[in-house]
Amino acid sequence: MTVRSALEVATTTDTGVVRSFNEDAIATELDLGLAVVADGMGGYKAGDVASGMAASIMVEELKRGLRANAPESPTQILQDAAEKANRAIFQAAQANPQYHGMGTTLVAAVFHDNQLYFTHVGDARLYRLRHGKLTVLTHDHSILHEQVSQGLISADEAKTSHNRNLVTRALGVEAKVESETQQQAVETGDLYLLCSDGLNDMVDDADIELTLTALQANLPLTARQLVMMANDNGGHDNISVILIKILTPFPAVEPSKGLMDRLFGWLK
Amino acid sequence: MAKLVLTLDGDVLGYHFLEKGRFSIGRKAHNEMQIDDSSVSKEHAAIVTVGNDQILEDLGSTNGTLVNGTVISKHILQNNDVIEIGRYQLRYINQKAQAGMDFDRTMMMMPMPHLQRGRNHGNTDTEVVEQVDTAVSVARAANASFPLGGVKGLEGTHAGQTLELSRPLATFGKHGVQVAVINRRPHGYTITHVEGKKPPLVNMRPVKEELHALQDGDEIEVGDERLAFFLKK
Repeated sequence: MTVRSALEVATTTDTGVVRSFNEDAIATELDLGLAVVADGMGGYKAGDVASGMAASIMVEELKRGLRANAPESPTQILQDAAEKANRAIFQAAQANPQYHGMGTTLVAAVFHDNQLYFTHVGDARLYRLRHGKLTVLTHDHSILHEQVSQGLISADEAKTSHNRNLVTRALGVEAKVESETQQQAVETGDLYLLCSDGLNDMVDDADIELTLTALQANLPLTARQLVMMANDNGGHDNISVILIKILTPFPAVEPSKGLMDRLFGWLK
Repeated sequence: MAKLVLTLDGDVLGYHFLEKGRFSIGRKAHNEMQIDDSSVSKEHAAIVTVGNDQILEDLGSTNGTLVNGTVISKHILQNNDVIEIGRYQLRYINQKAQAGMDFDRTMMMMPMPHLQRGRNHGNTDTEVVEQVDTAVSVARAANASFPLGGVKGLEGTHAGQTLELSRPLATFGKHGVQVAVINRRPHGYTITHVEGKKPPLVNMRPVKEELHALQDGDEIEVGDERLAFFLKK
């Protein structure tokens, strides 16, 4: 059983109603259970460069790490990949004046051996729908989140804050970045959502939960409906969505019989 | 774009985006923002956009218009102003009216100083950020201003019931057999096929496209359900 056959995936990315460019980047590598969303910022089209670099470097580094002969833990591989992406974007920004100040938020997930490993920087989010209940698995690195967590404003007052787009961490802005990596067990039937803040800034969690619950029999439609709702509410930012539904367990193949299993799996 | 946040006794009732031009507030339905309450005059106040300024004017209302507790006849709105109209408050949110920055763009900002307190100052790389379980929801739901309608159940699961469709979407039919979704959108309602071999029927005709627009009085058949769609007003 490969990871790919255990997952149903739908992706979409949209410029939104207000912006002229899409500075989000999304990437998946289903054979390895990888998904990445990055939301670029800074300068004329430089945000696009930063998010594009983040997505491609994350996928390349994760592929390399997971396919190594003696792979590190997915947690370590994710952290190393985020550090490498940060360094590359930072160096590009230093070397090219037109890229100065560019950066990107990031959320990346690895589905491996019935586990979900994920990391994030900034306000890109990972949600989980389990038994009809939506949970945010990431904690935004944002001023707004800090204001609420310090009790300076209530979660309700946060809705009127103008700090919604101020992130406290981003890839590529400084020589080093602290990413936050976590791991948890996956259950069959779980539905995961990776998104840029263009979704959850415009669509509240209750409506995201309703959409995922009601429409998940048609995952591509679910993704389109999330984007549509964000645009119906104003579409102030680019909107990117990756949906991943867990169809079956996906235990890792034992290395000793990996080749035969893969061969027979392929013949089936 | 500037917005007004309408509150009553501290409860958020909805959001309204201020477009260019003239935006009127009053009890009657022809106003851009209708507040159907006896404490509000028929045409109570208006907001006119001039360049980057948005100017609030009282239209000779019975109970007056207040900004931050002071009665006004004309006032250039500043970010976070609180407008009082009858029993209702309107908070004016427009970052451009104050800071001159594009706040819709994601920007980097250093963490607030409070978070640094109590931390180990020597080694920033290994510090652990305190985890908070509060999920900050900042969604700017605009759908309070969308048209409102619903369905009457004629046959099947909802027979005899009248359902107001106030959420952005609702599904009908039977899971695994035939399901359709009805969306509440800025300019009305649409219906879309979700699952099943056959699409739902509207007025006996199969729905071919995604987001088929629904008209008042349309009859919908999906799964074992027959529904009459209606728009309010």
